[in-house]
Order: sequence, then C-alpha cells, then structure tokens
Amino acid sequence: MAPCEPGVPRAELCGQTRGLCPPPRSPAVPVGAMKLNERSVAHYALSDSPADHMGFLRTWGSPGTPPTPSGTGRRCWFVLKGNLLFSFESRKGRAPLSLVVLEGCTVELAEAPVPEEFAFAICFDAPGVHPHLLAAEGPVAQEAWVKALSRASFGYMRLVVRELESQLQDARQSLALQHHSSWKPAASRCKPQARNNRSVVLENGHPLSKDCSPVGLVEEAGSRSAGLGLAERELQSPASLLLGRGQSPVSPETSDFSTLHDWYGQEIMKLQQRWRQRAQGSQPECEEQDKP
Amino acid sequence: MRYNEKELQALSRQPAEMAAELGMRGPKKGSGESGPGRDTGSGVPRRLVKLVVNFLFYFRTDEAEPVGALLLERCKVTREEPGTFSISFVEDPERKYHFECSSEEQCQEWMEALRRASYEFMRRSLIFYRNEIRKVTGKDPLEQFGISEEARFQLSGLQA
Repeated sequence: MAPCEPGVPRAELCGQTRGLCPPPRSPAVPVGAMKLNERSVAHYALSDSPADHMGFLRTWGSPGTPPTPSGTGRRCWFVLKGNLLFSFESRKGRAPLSLVVLEGCTVELAEAPVPEEFAFAICFDAPGVHPHLLAAEGPVAQEAWVKALSRASFGYMRLVVRELESQLQDARQSLALQHHSSWKPAASRCKPQARNNRSVVLENGHPLSKDCSPVGLVEEAGSRSAGLGLAERELQSPASLLLGRGQSPVSPETSDFSTLHDWYGQEIMKLQQRWRQRAQGSQPECEEQDKP
Repeated sequence: MRYNEKELQALSRQPAEMAAELGMRGPKKGSGESGPGRDTGSGVPRRLVKLVVNFLFYFRTDEAEPVGALLLERCKVTREEPGTFSISFVEDPERKYHFECSSEEQCQEWMEALRRASYEFMRRSLIFYRNEIRKVTGKDPLEQFGISEEARFQLSGLQA
C-alpha cells in the first residue's frame, strides 16, 4: 500500500512549545458529543498495569483534527497499553494528552514532512478518521513500534489466547496418551466418515450411539482419560481419529467437535464401568492431572 | 484528553459480543461525569447497550450513534438488586453505572461477559495458558509467533 501522505499545513499547528499548550477538546466537537469515562481512562493510563511498549515519538496535529504535518512535529512520550495508545507531555506526565484506540486500523510506514524521519502512520478504515502520523527516533524504534501497534488489537490477543487454549488441550491429550504404551496406530484403522455422519466407528467395532449424554466438556477429557487407567488401551484415541482427517482434535472450531464430544461421553461412561469393576478386584492405576 | 470520537463511533459499529436493551442509570450528576441523561417520563432510561472488545457503548434506542462509551479496563462489576448490576471503577468505587436486566439469567450473562471483557483479563489468561503449556511440553508456545519477549506476555504482568 502506498504510504500515507502529509496534509496541508495549518496555522494553529501546535509547535514545539515546552508543554505550555493545554490539551483542550477540539473545537470541532459539538455540544452533546459522545461521552467517555475519561477519568477512569486516564487513571488506567497512569496505573501500574503493564505497558506493552513506550517511548518518545514525534506527533503532528492531534486526534480528531485533519493531519497537518509540517515541521518536525511535537515530541511526546507515548505509552501503549493493550489496544490503547496514550501520549503524555513527558515521561512524568500526570495526565494523558491523547488517546488512540487501536481497533480497525493498520499501521504503515509513512513519509514524514522532514526527510529522514522514521515515520509511520496509524490508518483507520472509518469515514472521517484521518491517519495519525508518528515518527520514531531511529529505525529500530520505528520497527518496534510498527510491530507493537500492529498487534495491539483486542482481536489479535483473543486469537492468540484461543490458539494457546487449543494447544494446551492438545498437549494434555498427548500427555494422557503417552501414559498408555499400547495405543494402536491411528489413521490406518480409522474408517473415513462423512462429515454429516455423526457416528464414529471404533477400532473394536462398537458404533457410537446417541442415547448417552456426554459427560463433561472436552477440555476436561484429557485429564479424565488419564485417570481412567489401563482400560483405555482397548480404545482408539479420539485425537487420532480426527488427526487422521487432518483436523485438530479438541479445538471447539472443529466440525467434528460434537462427534468428539459424544464419543467422550459414551466412552467415559464405559470406562468408568470397567474401572469400577476392576476397583473391586485390585487397585487400578490412576494418575492425578492438573485440572484447568 | 484528546481522542477522536469518530474512531470510537466506528468501533461501536463493529460486531458486538453482547447487545441488549437495558435500563441504565449513570452516577449522580454533580460528581463530574453525568449519566445517560434524563429522558421524558419517569422510570429508568432504556438504552441499547453494546459490548465491543473492551468498551461498553450505550445508545438511545432510536439513534445510530452512541450516547457514550465506557472503557472496561479495571472495572468492577457488582450485583445490586435482583436483576440489576453495576459497573464502577477503581479510582472511585462509589460512582456506579447501574444496569437493569429483564431477568436474572440476563443479568448473570452480562456480568460474566463484562468480567472477561478486558485486555487485562485476556493477558492473564494468556500467561496462564503459556505457563501450563510450558509445564506440560517444556516449550514456550509463543516462540512460534515470535512474540515470546513481548512485555504483555510476561509473568510479571500478573502482578498489576
């Protein structure tokens, strides 16, 4: 994409005065404008909650006004917390000067009005929202800021959390399987199933019936199956059934999630029966797993 | 503090995690920020309340642009009377925004959603999962993303 271009200079651009310029509301904002819990926002900005990035950047114009980059801009202390980018007059600033909410935006390298500035812009897709032009003090800082701001959205964080959640389930599942040395090989025994066909044919030939209610959620299946002992060796692992189809076994997005869910429900009940029978004879092998 | 209203307005149009018409009362006037304002007639004003990422927007039911927004970081969600909850913030816990729901279930649903609707909450979840995965596999799952050094994913972030 082409870098964002500087706009037309305006007379009232805030220059490099030393913090004498008060941060008034832009006069373009009409009475009855949208409210925001500003005091709480400012408190959050100043709190000891972790900052994801911070440093000095040059800024032109102010949020809410058209870009008016000329000259070298104003040097402010910027703090990124989550999806919120705050600026302060200085590192010790006691009130944020500005806030940019980093949702629905992209961050691109840009041309600064003064050559050799390490500039980038936060560009929004929304009508009437002009890009925020910023410049770092060197190429390393520029790259670090562009990376940090690009990954600042709530959606990105949510994706990472979901991915890790899924990986944890996989990891626990693998750990449970490793406890049983006599797992039979997976995919070769897996009969291909039509996507709409909810019954799963198991390695021992027992089809899944629908008359059992699933016990618990898939997230707990890893820990439960580990606790159920040797009886599991007779069953093909559900993970391998789905891995054979190229899908992640325990992600809630898996189309076969409900299949897996039902499978666990059915099999856990069977295994519990067998476990109880063995318990009457000898002490079964059981391991405690960390619960989520 | 300067911010671009249009940025927030655009955000308010994004898909919401939760949206419902609720009764809403802001903190008493005279203590700085005012609430959603008095409507004609008695009773609690109805607002279309919309949860988008870590912001709670509230609209008059017949308007396209929000009356206001609440950033939900460091907020406290408290059960009030039956079917009612409030949101307040750490720096002034007595200033409460009250929300009246049409049922206990709706109230519960909203409270749960709001408690999770902060970047800080996600950060804690992520750190938890990261550590659990490290315990099980011995590997850092964030290395594949190239983000293992980022400040927001460090254990020290849990202290805040």
